[in-house]
Amino acid sequence: MKNSWKKLIIFLSVMGPGIITANVDNDAGGITTYSVAGAHFGYSLIWSFVPIIIALVIIQEMCSRMAVVTGKGLADLIREEFGVRVTFYAMAVLIFSNIFNTISEFAGIAASAELFGISKYVLVPLCALFVWWLIVKGTYKSVEKVFLVACLFYVSYIISGFLSRPDWNTVANSSLKPAIHFDKAYLFMLIGVVGTTIAPWMQFYQQSSVVEKDIKIENYKYSRLDVIIGAFVVNIIAIFIVVVCANTLFTHGIRIETAKDAALALKPLAGQYCFYLFAFGLLNASIFSACILPLSTAYSVCEGMGWEVGVNRRFREAPQFYTLYSAIIIIGAAIILLPNVKLVPIMLVSQVANGILLPFVLVFMLLLVNNKRLMGKYTNSRIYNVLTIVVITAMIGLSTALLLTSFLK
Amino acid sequence: MPEQYQNMVNRIAANKMFIYFSELLDKPVLDSNNNEIGRIYDIILKPSAVYPQSASLVVHKGFLNRKYAVISWENIKDIDIYSQEATLRVEKQKLVFEEKHDNKDELTLRRDILDQQVVDTHNHKVIRINDIHLLFVEEALMVAHVDISTRGLIRRLGFEKIADFLVSLFNKNSPYLNTEQLISWKYIQPLSINPASMTIKVNVPEKQFSSIPAADLGEIFLDLNIKQQLTFFQSLDAQTQARVFTNIDFKTQKSLVEDLQPKQIAELLNNIPSDEATDFLEKLPKDMAEHILSFIETKYAKKLSQLLGYSSDSAGGLMTAEYTVFIKDTPVEAALKQIKERVYKVEPAQYVYIVDENNRLVGTTNFRRLILANPQELIQNVAFPKTYFVHLGSSVKEVAYLMEKYKYYTIPVVDEDHVLQGIITVDDILSQLIAFAWRRLKKIKILSKDL
Repeated sequence: MKNSWKKLIIFLSVMGPGIITANVDNDAGGITTYSVAGAHFGYSLIWSFVPIIIALVIIQEMCSRMAVVTGKGLADLIREEFGVRVTFYAMAVLIFSNIFNTISEFAGIAASAELFGISKYVLVPLCALFVWWLIVKGTYKSVEKVFLVACLFYVSYIISGFLSRPDWNTVANSSLKPAIHFDKAYLFMLIGVVGTTIAPWMQFYQQSSVVEKDIKIENYKYSRLDVIIGAFVVNIIAIFIVVVCANTLFTHGIRIETAKDAALALKPLAGQYCFYLFAFGLLNASIFSACILPLSTAYSVCEGMGWEVGVNRRFREAPQFYTLYSAIIIIGAAIILLPNVKLVPIMLVSQVANGILLPFVLVFMLLLVNNKRLMGKYTNSRIYNVLTIVVITAMIGLSTALLLTSFLK
Repeated sequence: MPEQYQNMVNRIAANKMFIYFSELLDKPVLDSNNNEIGRIYDIILKPSAVYPQSASLVVHKGFLNRKYAVISWENIKDIDIYSQEATLRVEKQKLVFEEKHDNKDELTLRRDILDQQVVDTHNHKVIRINDIHLLFVEEALMVAHVDISTRGLIRRLGFEKIADFLVSLFNKNSPYLNTEQLISWKYIQPLSINPASMTIKVNVPEKQFSSIPAADLGEIFLDLNIKQQLTFFQSLDAQTQARVFTNIDFKTQKSLVEDLQPKQIAELLNNIPSDEATDFLEKLPKDMAEHILSFIETKYAKKLSQLLGYSSDSAGGLMTAEYTVFIKDTPVEAALKQIKERVYKVEPAQYVYIVDENNRLVGTTNFRRLILANPQELIQNVAFPKTYFVHLGSSVKEVAYLMEKYKYYTIPVVDEDHVLQGIITVDDILSQLIAFAWRRLKKIKILSKDL
């Protein structure tokens, strides 16, 4: 009994990076994709969350392992093993892609502002200020606690799922039985759901934040558990989003384009509480991601370029870190406040940048994690390597396909 | 060597004594018949000296089927000052190309220094190296400086000329162009390790850590990640280890001790003042503290576990067991002689305690009194007229009150039989009082806000 308490305490101290990184996956863009998937295709896409969980665990576990064994971030390792040139261009693309990702998070904030009937010219700057203040004034520990609380708020989607009273038998059946249709719209949606699962910033962020926690190799198993729990939690929430929309919008044949449409359409069908919970979930997810994306970018770039890194430092000690962080937030918030800004091309640019960077990052990771000099006995086993290669190929294929479908639309 | 001499003269004439490692990377290597045999990949260094010199050159050839050859520096005829091509004395046929060249024990420029993180002991920071500045010496290349500047970064990216041109368009005297951020190699402590086996490749004993204030050393240490901390720590000498250890927080201390070998922990605890050691042991879980005590020197362990028995806010918990003590009938001359010969640890020693045969405290004196006294006088006759002391169970407040009242820097602690147990120094009291005052201050602040 005493032993299991001890284990729980160790886990609580190690927990964080995996759960946080996975949850940011359900950002404004993710919620939109899942709402549309549920509204247009009912429960028929739910099965795809099972392979997503596996892919997420496999890729993110390698980052955690590299962090614990080498004590270095992914950008650090890329710089040290592949040189400055590769790192520089990878970081340039990462900044680019994350600026556009951040814009879409602020778009999520703007959308939820409208849902709550608040002017976006008030809410967006306020959130930007909050996000900036949190990191500039916080320490790593306090920031992580805020992030974990933000993860808790995702529960709002689970509650709204129950409020919509779905038939759980059907949900369970369709999550275990793959039902692949071969019409174009269904395949596009499938690619959209799976293709957004793994983005390059996630590997960088996860590895840096595990490094920041100074986890010892004896406690690595807890860190792995953190990754696994994260992958499950994020997908369960995604399933609930699909379920809410499938159970209400799909059965009534309502077509939507955005998460905002979904929330508005829910109001008459599932009631006011469901609407507020859904809108609140969107706001929480958008703020949370608008915080992590710039943070992750600043971390990786400064690591790779050899500048001072860290939430625990002051502005004067890590000027590049804070400048980059602030700049991304300001750009993200400012663009969304421009009149007549179009979201679709913004999402497209971020997808292109992600799609270009992802194959490189995954291949670098595979090379690094199998480097005996770095990893010693903690390199991948042969079976794990086969699995990883399958996942990596599938992910690269899907993100390319996602890119093509976005252009075809 | 006439040919070498000629090369030297050319370089001095062309003002090209230095070269950046990035300028050499991937430059052609020619054999004695001027046939290209591959490209420069890495330089292996001879360790040991303050400024390491090149020992051999690693050449690579092929793209997909990459192979490496290691060429000893005696076989290198010249490195051209303008084209940076390396010419060898040997023929192509004599070189052996292999799949790998990695040898863990060697220190190499590309693998272990370029792009890696190192400790800059001059500016007390952890830095990442953008380029390496090499000096041509008669026979070889010597590591002179490391470059951490943005310009170094841009040089590596291949945009140095363009960037220089653009900057000079705006400001010819820009600090970007004119100040070189080069750091002398003597201040650089590599952290290059084999992460999996945790073996350190170099340990240059000439690096002077003793000139860095202990608090700064502690701060540098906290900047490193846990792997680097261990490497860095193990590369320090015992004295510096003790200075670092007493200047880092408990969490880092604990994490470090968990990774050290029993022998290393024992040595470390022997080198730090006993009150710091008990402070540390006291905060550890009981089983871990007992485990550590089990492998340090028995006599010292006994002393520490005795200190551990006292409550941390009583005189017994605050005291240290390092002090200067003499039996009351010691002549002043003999006492002074012993003081000069003894090697002291960190604790201040300006006070000297006088005890009887049963170790009971009879008086206190200080160095000033000893020096001014008649050398033949017995030590008990130069004691202060009155001796102040506290008991093992005395509270922090009582101790602080006495020390303030009589302006003592240290005060002796005795047990119920008046036997001297240890001393308390003013810095230990001060840290307790500061913690106490802070809590008070916060309370006052909260109260005044409420009003």
